[in-house]
Amino acid sequence: MDQATPLIEARAVSKAFFGNPVLKGVGIALRPGRVHALLGENGAGKSTLINLLSGALQPDDGEILIDGKPVARLTPASARAAGIAVVQQELSLAAELSIAENIGLGAAPRRFGMIDYGALSRRAAEICGLVGITEPLDLPVGELSLGRRQMVEIAKALFRQPRILILDEPTSSLSAHEVAILSGLVRTLAARGIAILYISHRLNEVQSLCSHVTVLKDGVVTADQSLAEVDAEGLVRLMVGRDPGEVFPPRGTPSGGEELIDIEGFSAGMVHDVSLRARAGEIVGIGGLVGQGQEDFMLGLYGAIDASARRAMIGGRPGPFAHVRAANAAGLAYVPADRKKEGLVLPHSIASNLLLPSLGTLMKHGMRDRAAEAGLVARLAERLTIKGDTSRAVQALSGGNQQKVALAKWLPLVPRVLLLNDPTRGVDVGTKREIYHMLRSFADEGKLILLISSDTPELVHLCDRVVVFREGAVAAELPREAISEEAIVGAAMGLGAKDRAA
Amino acid sequence: MSMAEGMGSLYFAIQRRRNRGLVGLYLVVGAFLVVYAFMFPGLLTIGGFSKFSQNWFPLALVTMAQALLMLNGGISLAIGPLVSLGAVVAALTMEGPAGVLGGLVAVVIVGLGIGAITGAIVAYMRLPAIIVTLAGSFIITGIALILLPRPGGFVPDWLSQLLAGHTPVAFGILILVVIGWKLFLATPLGTGIYAVGDNPVGAFRSGVPVERVRIVSFALSGLLAALAGLFVAAQTGSGDPVIGNPFTLNSIAGAVLGGVGFLGGKGAMRGAICGSLLLSVMINVMFFIGFPPVAQYVAQGVIIVGAVAIPEFARRWRKA
Amino acid sequence: MKGASFTERLLRNPPLLTFLLVALVWIVASLTLRGFGAYGHLRYILELSAVIGIVAAGQTLVILLGGIDLSVGAVITVTAILLPLISPDWDPTGLVGIALALLIAAAIGFMNGVGQAFLKVPAIIMTLAMATFLQGLLILVAGGSAVSVTNKAVILLGSARPAGVPAGIILWIVVSFVVLLLIHRLPIGARLLALGANPLAARLSGVDVNRNSLIGYTLSGFFAGLAGMLLLGMNRQGYVGIGDPYLMTSIAAVVLGGTSILGGRGTYAGTIPGAILLVTTTALITVVNASAGWRSVMFGSLILALLLVSGREARR
Repeated sequence: MDQATPLIEARAVSKAFFGNPVLKGVGIALRPGRVHALLGENGAGKSTLINLLSGALQPDDGEILIDGKPVARLTPASARAAGIAVVQQELSLAAELSIAENIGLGAAPRRFGMIDYGALSRRAAEICGLVGITEPLDLPVGELSLGRRQMVEIAKALFRQPRILILDEPTSSLSAHEVAILSGLVRTLAARGIAILYISHRLNEVQSLCSHVTVLKDGVVTADQSLAEVDAEGLVRLMVGRDPGEVFPPRGTPSGGEELIDIEGFSAGMVHDVSLRARAGEIVGIGGLVGQGQEDFMLGLYGAIDASARRAMIGGRPGPFAHVRAANAAGLAYVPADRKKEGLVLPHSIASNLLLPSLGTLMKHGMRDRAAEAGLVARLAERLTIKGDTSRAVQALSGGNQQKVALAKWLPLVPRVLLLNDPTRGVDVGTKREIYHMLRSFADEGKLILLISSDTPELVHLCDRVVVFREGAVAAELPREAISEEAIVGAAMGLGAKDRAA
Repeated sequence: MSMAEGMGSLYFAIQRRRNRGLVGLYLVVGAFLVVYAFMFPGLLTIGGFSKFSQNWFPLALVTMAQALLMLNGGISLAIGPLVSLGAVVAALTMEGPAGVLGGLVAVVIVGLGIGAITGAIVAYMRLPAIIVTLAGSFIITGIALILLPRPGGFVPDWLSQLLAGHTPVAFGILILVVIGWKLFLATPLGTGIYAVGDNPVGAFRSGVPVERVRIVSFALSGLLAALAGLFVAAQTGSGDPVIGNPFTLNSIAGAVLGGVGFLGGKGAMRGAICGSLLLSVMINVMFFIGFPPVAQYVAQGVIIVGAVAIPEFARRWRKA
Repeated sequence: MKGASFTERLLRNPPLLTFLLVALVWIVASLTLRGFGAYGHLRYILELSAVIGIVAAGQTLVILLGGIDLSVGAVITVTAILLPLISPDWDPTGLVGIALALLIAAAIGFMNGVGQAFLKVPAIIMTLAMATFLQGLLILVAGGSAVSVTNKAVILLGSARPAGVPAGIILWIVVSFVVLLLIHRLPIGARLLALGANPLAARLSGVDVNRNSLIGYTLSGFFAGLAGMLLLGMNRQGYVGIGDPYLMTSIAAVVLGGTSILGGRGTYAGTIPGAILLVTTTALITVVNASAGWRSVMFGSLILALLLVSGREARR
């Protein structure tokens, strides 16, 4: 059906980070005039694929072709020269510079070595007209709302007159009006023969705008077909649907323990007005697309960012907590998602990391009791099967073992509420299995576990209950019998009753 | 609406808008100047204005040197030593066969060169500018002391008369420097300074040569500091290897007073220049009221901490 | 094989390495330079090292927690000038004056901590501004002239030699004992290290960032005050600028001892030989007649070189 040569094509590209394969033999072809959708769950490999297509990363294997000719090594500069423009989710704007200067940043027309403000003004105005930016061009970008900045970012990409335009969730912070303008724009650009790759979690948008779809799952292409042949439910099935296998422990019967979290009208960061009750012995999953407020919710509970609530009893104490130590005193422990930056003191030894939260509890004659500390470290290492010398720097451990250290260091404080932020991200299957069984045994011991996860099967097969976040609020609360991948992904994407896609 | 305006007007529209954000600062500086002129009417004579602008001139240059780096997400603790080194190099070369022109060239090369080396270390080794320049300040001070262990050297009298005499030549040069800065800011590299300071990753993705921008800003900053040293040497007629020391903190004080943020990309050069003017007026007033010169130190310490801390307090106040 | 592992272990143990370097320099210098190896001369070197060592104790703590204290020189000066002025006449022992002076020094450090932790002023700027502020204030308060000390306890500290060991060295031994205990045997030591290596992870692990920085900076002020007192006792006079040389040297001693200038890694056990090495080198430089300029260049290059090395490790 598409006879023209693809403007850019990736053939059987693979990419691994630290031995974890993220893309496995993926192929994608962007053809002139076609709006191509790229779908997949969090962690399916979409961002990595975009980075390969824009030259930010190099594939380990496979090749990238531009205009049918293989490119030896695509760099960001050569990608730009080939007419590839990417609108990333993280904006690339400078707040103090004007709209026009931002649009022209790095590609401004020059005269005698200076920026030609006349030409810049003319061309920026033309593109702003196209994108619907009506603000004066001399306004500093810092004074715009997030949605308007997103539009400036799109204008910036168009300023470079791309042949290939990659839009990574361009509508995540846009109003309905702006989305309509963008949709019209995408159609116009496609009609001019520009190849467009459109990544979005809003299925209705994808269906109305795109003609072709590539679905990624676990780094493999599960569909590369015309969108006309598949409906929304079909797309969701293509994105999920996996064999849970043997990795998950069996669930016990909910014991109905003490109520450890009881909050109403809880707000923190981008989270607003969340209510939740949870009891000891439960594993409560927190799902949703990346960045919908799950992390702010947890940090707010943990006293790490400012929070407010109409009513909050956390760990049997009135909250929200003003600082982390108060949360620790109430029996809360937090294991961050980014264990290298937030969870561990990487250059320090395994032993020091394991002892950090419980410093000051093992004392003799007013000093640290080295013998008792050594005993504790040995016991923790044994319980979590962390092998080898605990005086090694923790950065020498594999991802999975690092995660175990980040979790184990809390056990001496006997926490009653474990806040876990995506604990199995980048962890191999064997360690995942260990962690799942450990979490279940914690729950059986009478702890409450809150688990943020970007891995939907984990929510489905491990958790007793799943709360789905969307745009800073609870989009759905699924009791055990209602948990399914389709229900979670659907709620996360705003399908169903609570569809508020603006 | 700006789309309807003619070509080139975009540039001036941007400038107008930047000025609008600084109206408060302009008013404060203006009020200080009016009070100062009222207290010391001598300011309004040519001689008085010349003296005033000569006191302000080196402060303005070092504040620009510091603000340039702060806008770019860096900071320098080597500004003062560079001023000293500039003074020493000027005093040593101008008495030799190279003459005044040769001396000027030497100062320019020293300033640009040391700045560029510092910038390259910061940019390519990805080390914090604050510690690199702390180490650099020892090295530069040492070089100045080796070249000229005690005050000495010589700056021709006519140059001293020209720069620090009874004519406002220094003010004229300052205007030229500011025009030069405006021209630089209108180049792609100049806009890159703001972009790199505020959003280095985004700037890199947009095709801004981040490392080159960093090195160029350090080099220009070094140039400005060394030129300030040349002027100080002309003022005193000789070189002094430690004369620049107070300028490190003064430059930070001026920039912070002018609303330039520590974290990069926030503020504007014109604000920093106003900040240096404000600081200069304060120092003059303290001098005339009869405060001993050391009181300046006390004031600087308070001003810097205050200028950083008060906005922080205000932020918390609003939140609470 | 065994030899290789020994060298390897040695290279991984900066304090020991610095100690061996000191021993080597001492042996070589004693053999080649007349008078260097005399007991009196070596004792003198240690006595001078004691002042640097005590300032560097506070500097070590602050650098370990990821900060830096550029006000230690000014605090030494403040203590050396204020102590004679505030020692009350009715107190024959002089201990009240000492207590007051140390309290002031600690209070200055505390204010550095407040500025850094609560006002969010970067540590270098805060302590530099504090140093400038103090220098100005001191001249305003005390005038420019030197002050002679009459405080009995301070004079005793500067001159007494129980069993032939200068009191200053004994004070340094006590300080070393306390600081080593603090770093290695008390919870706060581990907390400071964690804070310096990764403040975010430390905070999320329940380490109170503000409280621990406050303690660190306060101790730095206290130890600088202690060093100022010792210096005053040895000099018998306090004057403006007396503490200036101790700013660079305290930082250099810390870094020479293998403590990362970027924080989170190191120990006072390295700073001790670092201080001795520094004084020894300075003594040798004086012998070969190197000027103040060359010394400054050397210090700067040393810090830069160590920064390049430790920065590389930090990024790995």
